[in-house]
Amino acid sequence: MRLQLELVRLAFRRHLAYRAAALAGLATNFFFGLLRAAVMVALYGERQEMQGVTLEAAITYTGLSQAVIGPLAMFSWLEVTRAVHSGEVASDLLKPMGYYGFWLARDVGRALATFLWRSVTILLAYVFMFRLLAPPGAKFVLPESLAQWLAVVLACCLAWWVSFSWRFLANVSAFWSPDARGIVRLAFIFSWFASGFIMPLRFYPDWVVELCMLTPFPHTVNSIVEIYLGLLSGPEILATLGLQLAWGLALCGACLLALRAGVRRLVILGG
Amino acid sequence: MIVELGLYRRMLGATVRSLMQHRVSFFMQLISATLITLVEFGALVLVLQRFDGVGGWSIGEVAMLYGFVAASFKLLETVGAGFDPHDFGDQVRLGRFDQILLRPAGLVTQVLAGKFDLHRIGQVVEGFVIFGVGVALAGVVWTPEKLAYLPLVFVGQMAFFAGLYLMGSTITFWTVDAIEAMNVLTYGGQEMMSYPMHIYQPWLRRTFTYFIPAIFLNYYPALYLLDRPDPLGMPAWAPFIAPLVGLALLLVAWRFWRFGLRHYQSTGS
Repeated sequence: MRLQLELVRLAFRRHLAYRAAALAGLATNFFFGLLRAAVMVALYGERQEMQGVTLEAAITYTGLSQAVIGPLAMFSWLEVTRAVHSGEVASDLLKPMGYYGFWLARDVGRALATFLWRSVTILLAYVFMFRLLAPPGAKFVLPESLAQWLAVVLACCLAWWVSFSWRFLANVSAFWSPDARGIVRLAFIFSWFASGFIMPLRFYPDWVVELCMLTPFPHTVNSIVEIYLGLLSGPEILATLGLQLAWGLALCGACLLALRAGVRRLVILGG
Repeated sequence: MIVELGLYRRMLGATVRSLMQHRVSFFMQLISATLITLVEFGALVLVLQRFDGVGGWSIGEVAMLYGFVAASFKLLETVGAGFDPHDFGDQVRLGRFDQILLRPAGLVTQVLAGKFDLHRIGQVVEGFVIFGVGVALAGVVWTPEKLAYLPLVFVGQMAFFAGLYLMGSTITFWTVDAIEAMNVLTYGGQEMMSYPMHIYQPWLRRTFTYFIPAIFLNYYPALYLLDRPDPLGMPAWAPFIAPLVGLALLLVAWRFWRFGLRHYQSTGS
């Protein structure tokens, strides 16, 4: 366990190092949030709510969707693919820990660092500059009770676990295919649509949502959003968290199985 | 000039042939790039159906905006990939730009011919298809003037994005750290121009009218195509300056590029 903690710490420090890039990224995130908030305002027009989502909540959603980009690595994550194709995987496999756990620990560090640098900052920007984004009188939505805050924190942790596990699983294809990048990229593209990252899932037609729910993706962004915005009742929150946990376990199992098969056929060329 | 064009063709041929060496990888890239637009626009259409349009514009009308700017930006990304600030920044950082400076051929020719993102071509086609469907749904009444103006608008948009690329690339002569902020203007510009721009807050709209004049490149020409009145009260010539605005921005960017080149100091590594 000490080894894992050390990996978390190192990854955390490594990802805190690129501050100028983080700042530039933050500006981009905020700008996109601004545009998406304006689109929400225009979509709602005179409406007070849509599918239980008020305009305030919809604008808050645009902030949440920008805030998850860092910790959930929404755009791309090819670390394992890179390690396999470069051969680095050989020395990593010799380390006294499982390969899944090795990357899990590093991703915890990465997620924590980006959470501090990108998520907290973008949410603070939203709170303080909400006047720029929303019509007069609207306020940034916050969870209302301690229990809801707790559920949000849990949902975030589980969302990260589900996200990490599907990213890892897609990356493990590198053990078989030299074109793993393409496979990973396809998974990411579907995740944008099905996770509720581009638009809240509630705004899609029901049959589309049902299709999305067959994939692991909604159990990342969408779960956080629905719990945070208070769109779910108590039992629904428990069911959502339970589904996240179930998907986490299933994907983790799939990762370990795929890894075992992959490592067996791995050939490292010396040189 | 003729010599440069010949060089460009030969170098581009080599670049494309090397792309085709990794055929599976290329087609995977083509498929995923094409899917990106499909997925993003698909999500937008689903939501627009739920809300019945945005800012008083129907799905068809928004599709016209979305498709046209997608086609022009993706085509620029295809042919101008060498000047993608991220990629160009890498060239500078790794010292490859120094090699380019030493060769007896035009700089722009070499940079442009060195990278060609052919896999984005599917997105260009999608852009045109989305625009076409939008035109049909919105019931545009065509006149010869409108048909003649459309290609000029397209050129204007490409020049606009080319100018942004060139500026972003020039900035990497000094710093590569902040290059992600350029995304605000390129990707952000595309996103912004995909919607009827009267929906944006006045301060934001003014910034993209007077500082970076993106509003004249897609929104105003669309007003003209749709015979819609201008809700913002601009002069009557506002829909017709798209090509001028695009080329003017490119010209400014070109001056900045020349300035940057004169002050370029290699990374020295």
